Amino acid sequence: MRKRLVVSVLLLLSLVLSACAPAVPTADDAAAEAEKAVISFWYNPPSGGEGATCYQTTVIDPFNEMSDTIFVDAVAQPEAWNATRTALAAGEGPDIVRTPGPSFVFELAQAGQLLPLDDYVASEGWDDLFVDWALSLGEVEGTIYSLADELETLVLYYNKTLFEQKGWNPPSTVAELYELAAVIAADDIVPFAHTNAEWRPANEWHVGEYFNHVAGPDRVYEALTGQIPWTHEDFVTSVELLDEAQQNGWFTGGLELYYTLTFDDVRGMLGRGEAAMNIEGTWVAADLDTLYFTEENGGMEWDWVPTPSQTGDPIYTIGMGNTSSINRNSEHPEAVAEFLSYSFSPESQAALLRNCGKAPAPVRLTDDAMEGVDPRIAAIFIDLAAASDSGGYGYTTWTFWPPKSDAYIYEEIERVWSGDITAEEYLQGLDELFQEEFSAGAIPPIPERQ
Amino acid sequence: MALNPEMASAAPVPPRTYVRSAAATRARFLRQKVVPWLFIAPILLVHFIVVIVPSVQSFYYSMTDWSGIGAAEWVGFENFQQMIFDDSSYRSALFNNVKWLLVFLTVPFAMALVAAQLLAPVRKGAMWFRTLLFIPYVLPSVINANIWRNLMSPRLGLGAQVAQWGENTLGTDQLAVFGTAFLGKTETALMSIAFVDNWHFWGFLMVLFLTAMQGISQDLYDAAKIDGANRLNEFIHVTIPGILPTLAFMMMLVAIWSFLVFDYVWILTQGGPANSSEVLGSYLYKQVFNRFEAGYASAIGLSMSMFAGIIIGIFALLRRRGWEI
Repeated sequence: MRKRLVVSVLLLLSLVLSACAPAVPTADDAAAEAEKAVISFWYNPPSGGEGATCYQTTVIDPFNEMSDTIFVDAVAQPEAWNATRTALAAGEGPDIVRTPGPSFVFELAQAGQLLPLDDYVASEGWDDLFVDWALSLGEVEGTIYSLADELETLVLYYNKTLFEQKGWNPPSTVAELYELAAVIAADDIVPFAHTNAEWRPANEWHVGEYFNHVAGPDRVYEALTGQIPWTHEDFVTSVELLDEAQQNGWFTGGLELYYTLTFDDVRGMLGRGEAAMNIEGTWVAADLDTLYFTEENGGMEWDWVPTPSQTGDPIYTIGMGNTSSINRNSEHPEAVAEFLSYSFSPESQAALLRNCGKAPAPVRLTDDAMEGVDPRIAAIFIDLAAASDSGGYGYTTWTFWPPKSDAYIYEEIERVWSGDITAEEYLQGLDELFQEEFSAGAIPPIPERQ
Repeated sequence: MALNPEMASAAPVPPRTYVRSAAATRARFLRQKVVPWLFIAPILLVHFIVVIVPSVQSFYYSMTDWSGIGAAEWVGFENFQQMIFDDSSYRSALFNNVKWLLVFLTVPFAMALVAAQLLAPVRKGAMWFRTLLFIPYVLPSVINANIWRNLMSPRLGLGAQVAQWGENTLGTDQLAVFGTAFLGKTETALMSIAFVDNWHFWGFLMVLFLTAMQGISQDLYDAAKIDGANRLNEFIHVTIPGILPTLAFMMMLVAIWSFLVFDYVWILTQGGPANSSEVLGSYLYKQVFNRFEAGYASAIGLSMSMFAGIIIGIFALLRRRGWEI
């Protein structure tokens, strides 16, 4: 009996101890052998796409080969952002902290989980590297905590071949856009290839574009800085016009389809000429030729124009896809700063655009950076840069609105479309939430109008 | 029985026997009191870390305005007050959970009972039938949901093909209803998700009921036959009472699960369109991850636990009153 007892206890102990044993050798071990500072980078494992893998081969691998002192350990982490914020709350997490946008940086900085970057701005020369307004986007209460990782904007893509066949001209004003949409719909073609089935926040692309292009970026700026309420009549007009497009069935052929078709479905419709236009972000541009305007789909061509505005002036809404920061608990902050300098260099950003189709960060790209890039895509970023300098820019909701107001924008707009609430009621709700967050100082930095 | 004092003094307990007895007592004590705890200690520790501690934390955070990051400020019962009196979205989500509960306490149970009753006498190929009906349950929810998302696609789905065939081949639009975008309509989204979830779930219930039915004595059926019972009578008066404990237990579990539903809703509609398929689980998720309202989300989570507690309480009460469940 005693023997059995001893064996049982030993078995139990061995089980517990085996659970505590280290797993297979990690990158830390390899780098430690080479006496390099190991810094960690978490990314979402690719799900069909090659975004993170492409980033690794284009930026991380060359950096690791080049550097004698630093090793970037890229770790595939499902739900990387949620995993990061959970780990940060526990005082852990990757050295390089990536967030989905400046409004999320605000929360992390307030909680003291990010390292101030002001010292590195000077020592690493980031003030020369980034365009004028870009660094201010990473500010929280006057201190810089993040760098904008991906500059985005939305434009109106259209099926150029279809337009030429039908003799349609790309619109520049909202009035022209609505006139054309009516003509397209009458021709049994879907005017806009839009959907939100796979990404419900896609709703905010449209709300944001209507705010900026119907009410105008000046009005948006005034509202974001608390000078006017969101119930202003210009915003009411914006939401009513958006609702009109939905009620007319211009988005994908009706609300039911807008809520159920996938991005592949609707972009395929655009490529085959079953849909004529699509107001979407720069993130889709690289896929248009390879996935949708293919020979199989009829070999049609696409092109783009700025999203039509009330006045006809081109307005590019500025959006930040991601941000990069340094974990407050990082053991090697200087090494992270050095890697960020490499990652944000014009050469790396140009390579990411060429190889991965990733929109570049708002850095000063050199003249030859766009070489090898599809001229239509290059034109978007060249025009966006020019618009940034001349004041022709607006504000995307996911970059410049605080989190609760942002979520309200894309969740509750569906209640306007379903007829549950009016445009005024929708904006009243937005204003109440926004003023609450405004009073709490939760508004991300807003670049001033020029 | 009293001992003779002389006998007691004449037969002293040998020291060796005393030592063995003490060792045996210690070993028995170790075996019965200590070793079992050693075996369950790891799981108790894990349970304490991943269940007890977060539960207590959740209770605390429900009384704060915690954003999910950084410090939390105490707000007392403000979150609960807002949830009960001011938040129409919460009430709407709760109402959807109640609808879900009603559907899942009826449809899958009815289907599983009928199928189990029909399959019970089948001997040849019984395992094939059972496996076939059980397969959806072992598939991950994301696979099931995406299969049905494609099947219900208003452009390429099965229904859409039927509608198109009706129009092109039969020259009628009578079949157009099959091409409806069920997940895209506020009137049908929630029930469409329930349909998909039920498709994956009812086979599991059926297997459970089938197993329970096999425990019913054949004598009872023979006696019922002698009394002139047909198959329906047998089902009502023999089968149902025979599997009642299983039936009641599963009803309790399904009722609890109905307030925790999340995965199918999130994958298929994310609570849309226009919040028509919002349930407490998806609403809670949005509060934490979209709006940074972790304190408020904790309050919602506690309310979900409370509903589960009420259901357990009802069943415990019925049991105490003599119900054989």
